[in-house]
Amino acid sequence: MSDYDAIVVGSGAGGGVAAAVLAEAGKSVLLLERGRDLSFAAVGRDHLRNQRMPVYGHNAGPDLDGNPRTIEADSFPILIGKPLGDLRLLRPHEPGYQNNAACVGSGTRVYAGQAWRFMPQDFRMASEYGVPEGSSLADWPITYEDMAPYYEKVEWEIGICGDHQTMTHLPRYDKPYPMPALPLPYKSSIHKRGLESLGWQTLRVPRLINSVPYNDRPGCINCQQCVGYACPVDAKNGSQNTTVPRALRSGHCTLQTEVMVERLTCSDGGRITGVTIIDVAGKRQTHTADVVVLSCGAVETARLLLNSATKQEPTGIGNGGDQVGRNLQGHYYPGAYGIFPDVMFDGVGPGCSIATCQFNHGNDGLIGGGFLGDEDIVTPVTLWKRFYPPEAPRWGIEAKRFMRENYRRINDVTGPVQEIPSPEARVSINPSLKDRYGIPVVHLSGTSHPETVRTARFMGERAKEWLLASGATQVWGRQMPRYLSGGQHQAGTCRMGEDPATSVVDPFCRVHSQDNLFIADGSPHVTNGGFNPVETIMALAWRTVENIVKRW
Amino acid sequence: MFDQAQMKCLYALLDTIIPPDDYPGAVEAGVGDYLQRQLAGDLAQSLSSYKTWLADLDAEARAVNGTDFADMTQQERAELLTRVEKGEVKARWSIEPAAFFREIVEHCAEGYYSDPGNGGNRNGIAWRMIGFEVTG
Repeated sequence: MSDYDAIVVGSGAGGGVAAAVLAEAGKSVLLLERGRDLSFAAVGRDHLRNQRMPVYGHNAGPDLDGNPRTIEADSFPILIGKPLGDLRLLRPHEPGYQNNAACVGSGTRVYAGQAWRFMPQDFRMASEYGVPEGSSLADWPITYEDMAPYYEKVEWEIGICGDHQTMTHLPRYDKPYPMPALPLPYKSSIHKRGLESLGWQTLRVPRLINSVPYNDRPGCINCQQCVGYACPVDAKNGSQNTTVPRALRSGHCTLQTEVMVERLTCSDGGRITGVTIIDVAGKRQTHTADVVVLSCGAVETARLLLNSATKQEPTGIGNGGDQVGRNLQGHYYPGAYGIFPDVMFDGVGPGCSIATCQFNHGNDGLIGGGFLGDEDIVTPVTLWKRFYPPEAPRWGIEAKRFMRENYRRINDVTGPVQEIPSPEARVSINPSLKDRYGIPVVHLSGTSHPETVRTARFMGERAKEWLLASGATQVWGRQMPRYLSGGQHQAGTCRMGEDPATSVVDPFCRVHSQDNLFIADGSPHVTNGGFNPVETIMALAWRTVENIVKRW
Repeated sequence: MFDQAQMKCLYALLDTIIPPDDYPGAVEAGVGDYLQRQLAGDLAQSLSSYKTWLADLDAEARAVNGTDFADMTQQERAELLTRVEKGEVKARWSIEPAAFFREIVEHCAEGYYSDPGNGGNRNGIAWRMIGFEVTG
């Protein structure tokens, strides 16, 4: 007899859904989270220490000390971290670490909540485009049609606002979004006109935000500190205020925070029996369960599998095909910045409201593409650090006047590029370095595929075109070097497929070598779309866990 | 943290990087407080570089102008920093002048434009100047 029917590791986008669907089906669930349950005040509004602008730290975990990773020096074009032999040693807020927030809700506590369905073509990239040299590009074993009912569930049950009639790049929705799109800031109305003048598709960005009161919580008050921060009125829908409370309300779920899973435990025969956890005081405990669901994010899920080697699976659970940890991907973010003759800023947040999917597919000679959208409000110090024209003065009275005159005139459009996976972009284990719990840490290696960079450069040019059409008088772009990508959109490290030789999980996200071990995060994504992945992570988790319950 | 001479030089420097006009300069806006907090925390490892750089800046001012940096006019200070930024220096510097100047400029802007909770941007004055208002 196990302690629980199911253990879910991680309370982010996928883990929250997994816990809620299991608990509401009457299964006893232990939901484990390595971070804390953070209040609005605890997340705070520090403009130099947040998930969007982590100059000196983070506001949503993990702790800066005791959670290191290592990276190959040539995986990143700029010198990052501290030298450690031939490698670089990284802290969680440093570039290259591939961080995701560690707290109840994980990234959903502080995200922008852009809520995109992937397109039908995104599930069959290899069939659409062929497989470029050096890449592991493949089709998903499931289709958009398999996902559509679960996208709809997420839209209605977790709460997404938008305008389905503008989503002309997708098959017709069976049901509209439950809430209308957020009001358009002035600058978005300008960018909308820019898109229309180019004849490019123009849509309202769907977001996991209450535009009106929904699910017993209020509507958005259009504040200026959304992405990277917690919501002051709790109108942003993350796991911490939707699926995790649902799981707890069912009476069948126990949430345990500030515990790290050291490894999966198994029977003599090699079958998963539960997990060993370590708390902050260093105390170890083993919990058993009939089913284990991993929702640690693409980096940490791979790490846990690789750190759980058994006699039967000596290179890590599910790693018989040497696939665990490979194909790490996230999103390149090409974009462009511009200065406008008129004041663009009217203070109406969150900001990103208008987008186009004109270039997600069908770009001559390129593989895929991505959407382009306008931007959430950029805080003054972020504009200074990231959005400043390269030639503008940096100090003296001219610099002060420049900020004064142009903070409200500088505006940008940007978007994620669908990455072409590489098997060498990889999460592995550094056996000689341990974290604060004594667990071997993640080692990162490899870099992006050249096709990703090519597409990103193309999208950067489209972004400039859009800004000029919106009336910008000066535009500039950003560098697009090759580097190892993952970050908050991390995916791909336990890819889904029919064949255990080339994939880690089956089409229902069950680890091939186990009958009771499932993954519910971005790891199973074969490709990651040209979109923020969170709605897909939630929808896929829903499908996976509904199937577990159905077959129980 | 800093002695009197270093403080005098630092404050003159900060107010040359973000000078007062009809809105406060760096010092009045609290950037000195921001910086001292940081140099006792996240930037503790930069403290000795700050001290060296400030001493070198004063030496440069004496070589060029015969006075300490803080005793130069605003215009003279700006001209001197323009040369320092290009690496055109007369004194013997024991730290790379231009690269660390860029770091100081960055720290100064962090103090001036980030949230008042960090110790600078007193009462949100920099945000009022540029038109960033927090409404919720």
